[in-house]
Amino acid sequence: MNTELKLQALVDGELDAREVRELETLLAQDAHSAALLQELKWTRSALVSHEADVKLPESREFYWSKISRAIEAEEKHAVTAPPERVWWLRFLYPAAGLAAMVAVMFVVSGGRTTDGSASESVTEDVNVVSFRSESEKMSVVYVADENGNFSPVSQEAKHEPEAEK
Amino acid sequence: MPQPIDYKAALDVQLVAASQAGDMVAFEELVARHRDKIYARAFSMMRNEEEAIDLSQEAWVKAWQRLKQFQGDSSFATWMTRIVINLCLDQLRRQKRTRAESIEQLDEELGGVERQMPVVTTNPSEGLERSELRKRIDKAMNQLSYEHRTVLILHEFEEMEYKQIAKVMNCSIGTVMSRLFYARRRLASLLQSLKKEQQS
Repeated sequence: MNTELKLQALVDGELDAREVRELETLLAQDAHSAALLQELKWTRSALVSHEADVKLPESREFYWSKISRAIEAEEKHAVTAPPERVWWLRFLYPAAGLAAMVAVMFVVSGGRTTDGSASESVTEDVNVVSFRSESEKMSVVYVADENGNFSPVSQEAKHEPEAEK
Repeated sequence: MPQPIDYKAALDVQLVAASQAGDMVAFEELVARHRDKIYARAFSMMRNEEEAIDLSQEAWVKAWQRLKQFQGDSSFATWMTRIVINLCLDQLRRQKRTRAESIEQLDEELGGVERQMPVVTTNPSEGLERSELRKRIDKAMNQLSYEHRTVLILHEFEEMEYKQIAKVMNCSIGTVMSRLFYARRRLASLLQSLKKEQQS
């Protein structure tokens, strides 16, 4: 803390006894510091108890009517507002949507790979097996009977246009 | 069965207790008693009548909502004043973010300007009537930036210590001290100028 701020702290009674003694020694030798201390004291005493006398420019009834209306509105809002949700619930709907989308895409694609090789997909709950071969442009779906024997129920072969052959 | 309250004669603590139990009439009486002080504090910080009215009313609404938190550690008036001071500071910070800084304010932030001011060697308030001194102080306060004005208000009018001011203004004690020092030096200089103006 520099000397000027120490002088101010002295005026405000924020120094301990040792710091006060040190400053008194300085003040006895330094006229500028003594003058600055006097200025700070004058300013402080001018301010204390001389705050501008300001009165509210509205009648009691008018002023209160606005406050009471605001209180009523806040209380009404507090009653009708839904309870605050737990933070992780904010992520629940987007995450569930994303998971559903991934599942749908997986089922629709039949687990096909991007390198043109054949692949199989089994959905255990419905006892369905699908087979797709990219190289032969063909998809086959097998459904199991009550004995667990799979038989093909649909077969699709994609024929390329003549121009591309 | 509880005794009916004579609202006009009741003490603040009785009115606060009744308000905490949901008695709006008791709260209205508290508003009537302290509205001038709360408005005056808002006005001293904002320097704008309309904003001061709005913020003081907002302070009363907040007080009603937080009445249960009031434990009586300080007087009700002090507690209310702290609420309005915080609202004013929030508003002033928002305003500061949206307006350009003046060159003077930038100088103040950089520091050192107060050291270049000559020391006032005659008491600028000497021989002045009380009402005249109040007017001059008010005029001089109007010329300070909000940070300097607020630190003076909190220290001189609210009688807060450096560390309390630092907490309210969300800054360090060192910043409080340098702002207070600048504000006092500037105020002394402004009061002296006002005195010279009137004498000439």
